[in-house]
Parts: sequence; C-alpha cells; structure tokens
Amino acid sequence: MIFSFEIPLLILLLLTAAGAILVKDLMSAILLLGCYSFFLSLVWAWLGAVDVAFVEAVVGAGLATVLFLLTLFGTAPKDSRLRRPPPPMAALIGLPLLGILLLYAAKDLPQFGDPNSPANSHISPTYLEQSFHDTHTPNVVTSVLMDYRSLDTMVETVVIFTAGIACVLLLRRKAS
Amino acid sequence: MNTFFLFVLLTLAVLIGAYLYRVLQGPTIFDRVLGLNGISTKAIILLILIGSVHERVDMFIDISTGYALLNLVGALAVAKYLEQKGLP
Amino acid sequence: MDVLAVIFILAGLFFLVVAAIGVIRLPDVFTRSHAVSITDSLGAFLMLIGIAIHEGFSLNVLKILAVLALLYLQNPVIAHATVRAALRAGLKPWQREST
Repeated sequence: MIFSFEIPLLILLLLTAAGAILVKDLMSAILLLGCYSFFLSLVWAWLGAVDVAFVEAVVGAGLATVLFLLTLFGTAPKDSRLRRPPPPMAALIGLPLLGILLLYAAKDLPQFGDPNSPANSHISPTYLEQSFHDTHTPNVVTSVLMDYRSLDTMVETVVIFTAGIACVLLLRRKAS
Repeated sequence: MNTFFLFVLLTLAVLIGAYLYRVLQGPTIFDRVLGLNGISTKAIILLILIGSVHERVDMFIDISTGYALLNLVGALAVAKYLEQKGLP
Repeated sequence: MDVLAVIFILAGLFFLVVAAIGVIRLPDVFTRSHAVSITDSLGAFLMLIGIAIHEGFSLNVLKILAVLALLYLQNPVIAHATVRAALRAGLKPWQREST
C-alpha cells in the first residue's frame, strides 16, 4: 500500500526552513535547524534509508547543534540579532523559476522503488549478488562503504579527524 | 492494524505541528527549547512506529536510541549556555 | 493481544493530544514545562508499551524498554535544566492578575 506520509513531514520541513530564515536571533535559528534535521531524518526513515536517517539524526540534530552553540560560546556576540539586507530582485525572480524547472524535470524520474529503473537495474544487482561472496559482510551498504570503497572511507576519516583537531585547537580555553 | 498505525502517524504529525507553532512563536528562548524537546519525544515515537509499519523495528530502534542520547546532550548544552549567558 | 495494544496506543495518543493543547494554551514557560515533561512522558510510556505488546516478546521489546527508560530519564532532566535557566535569567512565574 502506497501511503504518502512524507507529505505532512515535508510541509513541516518547509515551515521549519522558512522559520529558520525569518527568525530574528541566532539561538532560535540554531534550534530551528535542529528541528529541521529531525524532520529530514524522519523523511529518510519513512523512505526506508535507515543509515542516512541515522547520520542525519546524529550529525544534523546532535553534533551540529552543539558545534553551533560552541561557536556562539567562543565568539560571544554582544548583540546576537541578525541584520539582513533585503534579497536582490534577481534572486526573488530567478530561484522560483529554477524550482519550477526542477519540479518539471522531476516528473520524468522513475517511480519510487521501481525495479526497472536504471539505478536498480544497471549495477546494483551485481553488488547485491556478489558482495556477500566477496566480503562476507551481511549488510550490503557496509560492505560497499568499508570494503569496496575502503581507501575512500579511510581518507574521509583522515579529513574529519584533521578538522576535529583544528576545532579542538581553536576552541580550547586558556589555562588560567 | 496497518491502517490504525497510519492514523496514529498522521495524528502525531499534527501534534508535531502544534509543538512547531510553539517553537516558531515562543516569546522567549526557553519556550523554543521546551518545544524542541517535545518534538524530539514525538520523533522518537514516530521512528518506532515507522519501524513497526515497515516491520523492521530492530533497525529503527537503534536510530531512536541515538536520537534520544544526542537530544539529551544538545538540550543540556543549550540550557548550560543560557544559564551562563542569560537572556540573549 | 492486538486489542490490548490498540487500547494502550489510543490512551497514549490521548495524553499526547492533551500535552499538545497544553503547550499551545498555557501562559508561560514554567506552566508549559509541566505539559512537556509530565504529560508527554506518560503519553510516550503508554504508546511505547502498546507498540511493545504489538511486537510480541523478543529482543526488540528490551530495546523499546531501554528507549523508554532513556525518555523517562531525559524528559524531567531537560525540563528542569531549562526551567532553572529561565528562573536564573529573571523570568517571573505567571500569576493571575486579579489577586
């Protein structure tokens, strides 16, 4: 049974995004961004992408909120209200046009979960059939991430680790 | 049973809308924090319900556990910040 | 068994609706924190128990109970921390004007 529960979630998502843009001070914008990650993670979970939902929940709702807060701690602005110039006319006209074009193009995408779509018929069956034989890992996503693309993942980890070291060096308090 | 679960899902989405009104509208920052906490509670229940609809509860419960732990850390960080800085 | 699960879930839904009405209608932070922490926790408790009954007895039930324990720990802690921060920031609790 196809039931589009993602539509109320997407409405909530739009409301949260608009609120995060329109709200006046930085703390509220951070909280609304955390809210946005909750809803996005729920949409991923409803579509069945559990691992993406997990990453969105952990990074978007948890870590990003705490990191933004640490930034507010560290910079300590006297006046945290935003002063935003009005958007230029070209953006107001051009971006809705771009959105309409993207929606028009999205009509030609294959149906959700269609077994004959190119993404499902070209290379995925090979991985689905052979990954267990090749890597002896029951989860296909894990076998792709940690085995077929292990070098890529390792260098990604190095990048994230370096960024973490830089953040710790920037944010540490002076021993007084 | 599945139809009943979908009804519960829709009702919870409407309830989340009520909390979102408080987060968007809230006169003080503390209202927003409380609203966010309520939304995260609803999101945890929604995740387990979604898992029940998809009949893969074991995977979804792990996400909701991570959700709950990180929500605790985030909300405590916000409260700590507000306690040290006072009202923005 | 399913009837019992439906009864529990509907009871939980009732309390969650009450909490949502409270969050919209109550006048200030200190009163709203009651709706968010107390009523919400009871609703979540009933609802998750209902889902656990529906799932039948397995490892999943233990995990659901762990999530439940976590919710019961964190909801009052967060509400308490937020309200204490509000009090330190100088917000006055709401009082009826006529007294």
